[in-house]
Amino acid sequence: MPILATRDLKYTYPDGTAALDGAEIEIEEGKKIAFVGQNGLGKSTLFLLLNGTLKPGRGEVLFYGMPFKYDSKSLRNIRRRVGIVFQNSDDQIFAPTVYQDVAFGPANLGFPEDTVLERVNHTLEYVGLTHLKDKPPHHLSGGEKKRVAIAGVIAMEPEVIILDEPFSNLDPVGADEITDMLDELNHFGKTIIISTHDVDLAYGWSDYVYLLAGGMVIGRGAPDQIFGDPELLKGAGLRQPTTLEIYHEIERRGLADRNKAPRNVPELVDALKPPDLMWVRVPPGIEEGDTLNLGMMHGDYALHSPYEAVNAKVMHIHDRGWAIAEMERRGVRAGCIRIYDMAGYEPEELRKIVRDADIEVVGAMGRKSKNIAERDGMRLDIAAGVIDKAILMALCGKRCLILTNGGMVEHAMKRISDYAEKSGIEINVSMVGEGG
Amino acid sequence: MRNLLDDYALVSRLRYRNVWLKLTIVAFGLLVGVSSTSPATPLFIALSMGFATVFFGKTPLKFYLALLLVPTGFAITGSLVILFFFGSGSEVFSFEVFGYRLTANAGGLDMAILVISRTLGGMSCMFFLALSTPVIELFAVLKRSGIPDSVIELSMLMYRYIFVFLEVAMSIKHAQTVRLGYTNLKRSLYSVAMLASTLFIRSYEQGEKLYLAMNSRCYDGKLTLFETKRPIRSAEAVLASIYAIAALSLL
Repeated sequence: MPILATRDLKYTYPDGTAALDGAEIEIEEGKKIAFVGQNGLGKSTLFLLLNGTLKPGRGEVLFYGMPFKYDSKSLRNIRRRVGIVFQNSDDQIFAPTVYQDVAFGPANLGFPEDTVLERVNHTLEYVGLTHLKDKPPHHLSGGEKKRVAIAGVIAMEPEVIILDEPFSNLDPVGADEITDMLDELNHFGKTIIISTHDVDLAYGWSDYVYLLAGGMVIGRGAPDQIFGDPELLKGAGLRQPTTLEIYHEIERRGLADRNKAPRNVPELVDALKPPDLMWVRVPPGIEEGDTLNLGMMHGDYALHSPYEAVNAKVMHIHDRGWAIAEMERRGVRAGCIRIYDMAGYEPEELRKIVRDADIEVVGAMGRKSKNIAERDGMRLDIAAGVIDKAILMALCGKRCLILTNGGMVEHAMKRISDYAEKSGIEINVSMVGEGG
Repeated sequence: MRNLLDDYALVSRLRYRNVWLKLTIVAFGLLVGVSSTSPATPLFIALSMGFATVFFGKTPLKFYLALLLVPTGFAITGSLVILFFFGSGSEVFSFEVFGYRLTANAGGLDMAILVISRTLGGMSCMFFLALSTPVIELFAVLKRSGIPDSVIELSMLMYRYIFVFLEVAMSIKHAQTVRLGYTNLKRSLYSVAMLASTLFIRSYEQGEKLYLAMNSRCYDGKLTLFETKRPIRSAEAVLASIYAIAALSLL
């Protein structure tokens, strides 16, 4: 059963323009959903309808199949379970200090003071803001304010978190941090709904996409399905995601495998099929179609890893012993990914691992791991989009270490093995340290 | 761009000390300073408070002196008037300006010095409070002192949105300036009027958005304010008592 659904939803602004006209949506529990459409086309209105702030003119909103009731007790229940983060953090953060703002929700739920205290401290640690708890909001950066706004909502422990344009006005690193945080929340079972007009982000991040235009849902489905349909996108006034556009262009030129829909850079790289041809000198007696062992190559001649065993399949023999051959490369010292669970963090042990396993690239995933790494002055090569970048690095023969903790460990292992399964490329991945 | 006392208070080392102790010290300083008849006591208070603010609170000395310059300037001009037009007793010095004879006598001089020292004493107490106690720490004090909750809640919201609107006002002003909104008096008046009316509409809208946001987090008509407990340390109590005894003995 969908956790949230609407039936024939219609909402008209007081001035008579229709914000929504017959919108039908169904939100599955535990998914990451993106509502994509141009600005000012009813996304915010829809969100306010989903937590009962606005009452629909026609149709109904259902929570676990039960239609919303609009008495104050039912509304309170809905609002506790469906949290909403507004686009402009200043609209939402009203208390004079970070701590008091995060405490607002739990206090309204009527918890005793020490429960509130515990929840607030836990939430602040989770979003990495403990050091800012006594600051007034006007001393925070945009990204920090956004994290406070999110903390204020997750402190109430809702099942669904709705975020209206969470990435607007954020710098790229700030946006990546929020994405990571949303992934983390989703991994622990929260249903996340965002609205955005950033097609790249919606395409790469979400499990399911609703395309909105003119107050109606004009398309819904898996991201590759929605963003693979240029006509549909044009109808919504949007363009194709960059990854997909690049893929289509290289596919049209025969440089990539057909019928794929790469969602991120590793998948795009994986779709590439460069004809790796080279002039080689062949000994006499070799015929077209034979395979030559060219031995080991390294340096500039090894394209994918530091050392490669290269075989050449002779395609065409030219005069004077020269031939065109297709290279078959196999990395000898392949890269690897090691995952370290920060739950059992020992500075000495970690240093030993980095040294012994010859780690070249270190990345941290999840706020807690980043905090520990920052505190202990560890140099982090990757701080955002960690899994994707680690895969890319490993494919290039680098040895990567991902620092993470709790359920994120499992999440990382799964993402990497999913990639290996989908691409057919084996990536050497394992846990290290006491925890592993 | 902004140079608010509150910003200095937020980073003061004395911020997390017990608010009530700070308030007591300040009230004591004000009362003793004003009731003192000799200039020595207020000057002692001014020195102690200044030392506490700069040395314990780590407020930059330069900023502190610049801040103190303002009331000192006022006090000096004020006491010049007192010096020449008040008091009685033996003449200290006199001179002639445009045919008027200005005479300073002993009583006037004493009074002028007392006024200056009291001003310094009082102001340094107020600066001690302002530079060590940000507004956000005072809400809990207001609550304890029995002020109605709705007044405190309103002032909390007002405090928060002062800064939001300050930012809005600054950006509107910049937008007007780059389009030559302040080139002459007439344009300036017109621009300020526009700024004020826009700000009014914005704050009205902000109020509605705020209500939505609060409702979404189950607002039920009251804000809960948690007071953090900061017990007075024994060293602080001892230091404060020594200061009080010293000030009283100078009376």
